[in-house]
Formats: sequence, C-alpha cells, structure tokens
Amino acid sequence: MLQDYELQVIKEVVSCVLILGGVTFMFIATIGLLRFPDFYTRMSAITKGSSLGVGLILIGLGIYFNQPDIMLKVLAIIAFTFITAPVAAHVIARTAVRNRSPFWSKTNLKEFKPYLDKEHLEKVKNHDMYRAEAEAQVEQKPNGGGDT
Amino acid sequence: MNTFYLHSALSFIAAYLITHRDPPPLPYNAFTAAFVFLSIFWMLWLTTYFYNRVYFRKMPKVIAFGAFFIKELIVANLKIAFDIVTPHFYMRPTVIAFPLAAKTDLEITLLSCIISLTPGTLSIDVSEDKEVLYIHALYVKGNDIEHLKHKIKDGFERPLLELTS
Amino acid sequence: MSLFQITLTIAMAVLSLCLLLTAIRFAIGPTLPDRITAFDLIVANVIGIIAIYTEYSGNEDFLDVAIILSVFGFLGSITFAYYIMRINH
Repeated sequence: MLQDYELQVIKEVVSCVLILGGVTFMFIATIGLLRFPDFYTRMSAITKGSSLGVGLILIGLGIYFNQPDIMLKVLAIIAFTFITAPVAAHVIARTAVRNRSPFWSKTNLKEFKPYLDKEHLEKVKNHDMYRAEAEAQVEQKPNGGGDT
Repeated sequence: MNTFYLHSALSFIAAYLITHRDPPPLPYNAFTAAFVFLSIFWMLWLTTYFYNRVYFRKMPKVIAFGAFFIKELIVANLKIAFDIVTPHFYMRPTVIAFPLAAKTDLEITLLSCIISLTPGTLSIDVSEDKEVLYIHALYVKGNDIEHLKHKIKDGFERPLLELTS
Repeated sequence: MSLFQITLTIAMAVLSLCLLLTAIRFAIGPTLPDRITAFDLIVANVIGIIAIYTEYSGNEDFLDVAIILSVFGFLGSITFAYYIMRINH
C-alpha cells in the first residue's frame, strides 16, 4: 500500500516537471513569434520550440497514465508531429520565398542571389496588395534603427 | 530495412501477448511493456549476427545517430530560447547554398527534415537539378560559412548516407 | 487541491496566454505566410491543451482528438501554402 502511494507521487512529480518544461518551451516559442524581426527567423524559432514542447507535454501525459495503449497513442502523436512539422515549415518557407516575402535587413544573401535571379523574383513586378505593405515596412526599418 | 520492420512487428506482437495474458504474469503498465519489447528486440538483433551482418553493424550507428539528433534538438532550443528572452539579438541570419551529396529523393527529404529541426537552420528550397539545398541559418560564427557547411556535412549528411546506402 | 492539480492549472493558463499572443500575430501579421505560421502554432498549442485536459479530467478518450488534430492541422497549413502559391502565379 505504501509502495503504491509512493509510486503515484513519483509519477506525478516526473509528469509535472516534463509538463512545465514543455509549456515553457511553447511559451518561449510564442514570444519569439511576436518578437523576431522577419518571417524566416520566426519560422525557424517556432518549428523547433513547438515540436519539442508538444513532445515533452505528451511524454509527461504518457508517464502519468502509465498504460501501454496510451503510451502507444502518445508515441504516434509524437511521430506525426516530428514528421509533419519540418515538412510544413519547408512548404511555407518556399511559398514565402516565391511570394517575395522580405528578408531582415541584416540577412547575408550572398549565396542566395543566383536562385533569386534565376526565378526572376527580384524583377517581376507584382500587383499584390500584401507586397506593397511589406515593401513599406522594409523601407521603414533602416530609419527606425532596427532592433539591435 | 525489411529485417527491421519484421523484428519490430515480431517483438510488438510478443509484448502484446505477454502483457495481455489473462492472469498477467507482469504488472500491467507501460514500463514493463516497453522493457519486454526492448529485450525481445535486443535478442532478435543478436541473432542477426549469423545471417545479416550489415544489419548487425548498422543498428548501433542508428542508435548513436538518434542520440546525437536529440542532443542537437535540445541544444538548438536552448540557444534560441536564450536569444528570445534577452533583449539583444545575437543572431546573424545567412542563406547558405549547401552542395548535396545525397542523390535519391528519400535521402534529400530526410536530410532537409533533420536540418529543419536542428540548430537554428531551416531548409528553404532544393534547386531543380537536386544539386544544391538552400538553408536559412541563424547563427553563423564570424561569417564563417564554410565551417557551418562542414559541420552539417560531417554531423548529419555522412552518417545518413552511411545508413541508407 | 494537490500540487499536481495546481501545476496543471498553471500549464493550462500559460497555454491559453500563448493562444492569445498567437492570435495577435495572426491579426497583425504583415504578410500572408506570417498568418500561416501563426496558424501552425495555434494547432500545436491546441494539441498541448487537449493533452493537459486529458490529464486533468482523467478521461483518456480525448487523446484520439489529439491524434486526428496532429494529422489534419498539418494538412490545413499545407493547403493554405499551396493556395497562396497558386494565386500569385
């Protein structure tokens, strides 16, 4: 009886630690989504933060319930998350490049120039309304002094 | 690869049968199930020494690569978390063109997924002839692009090619 | 109220705050890909909330919702991305 009680406490403590760690990573990723200067840095911040956060929370849940079938479901969710998150990030980043989403003013684009020239991404004039907004922001940034 | 699938299925079925016996010989919880699964898998791996040497040699490399990947994932998160919570931005974003040694579609997909999940790098696009992978990297020490390329090539691409070949 | 339940409440509150902050980025995001990114993070947040609610209520059936969400949320953001790529070409 005493042993069962102690096992319950150990499970709860381990689960608490894992859940708090996961929630912290998710919160940091969200702040990064709000703070970072351009689209690509935001993307690379949240891909890692959210997948690791969800993984930690779900492992905490599996350890708390401690049943084989729930552990199997948890491992399935983690596998789906870790397969789909980078694929989604890749597709969204490629769409952003094709849509001429602006880079941060400090980005070193030297090796990316041939790709942009080949795809005519700098020259084609675009009548998209989002493009006008984005260009206005890029012009404002040097005046504002940036974020350094 | 086929051997791996077969062994996983066999040890899963064996673990299921053992843990779902009517008067259960072991307590019904996740740790005993995982322990039974891993021990059966380990015994099956030992028998492959006699009929599948390649698989026998590859398995420790897979485990070492997985451990290295998890370590890199946590280090990447801590690095970015430090940059987010401090007011100054330490990052110097760079787009690098990474020459691919991987040729097949499966290898390129796996490599770009792993790159997207590790230190501050995000794969953007593959060129049409599948020669170059464009990577958006956040932390480039002293604008030393070649060092980062060597790190990716030695850390991720070479072990991956060894495993899939 | 035990320590475990207090932890779960704190976790739930922080994740709700995360949803709110993500909604801000969803509203002000300057370009359309920014909004897709915010949508991706919302899906991950909701998976975390479902996991914590499962633990809070002790009813393990809610976990199936998380499985389905982890597959279909990914399809949602992919579909958005292809749609945007199409309308600009």
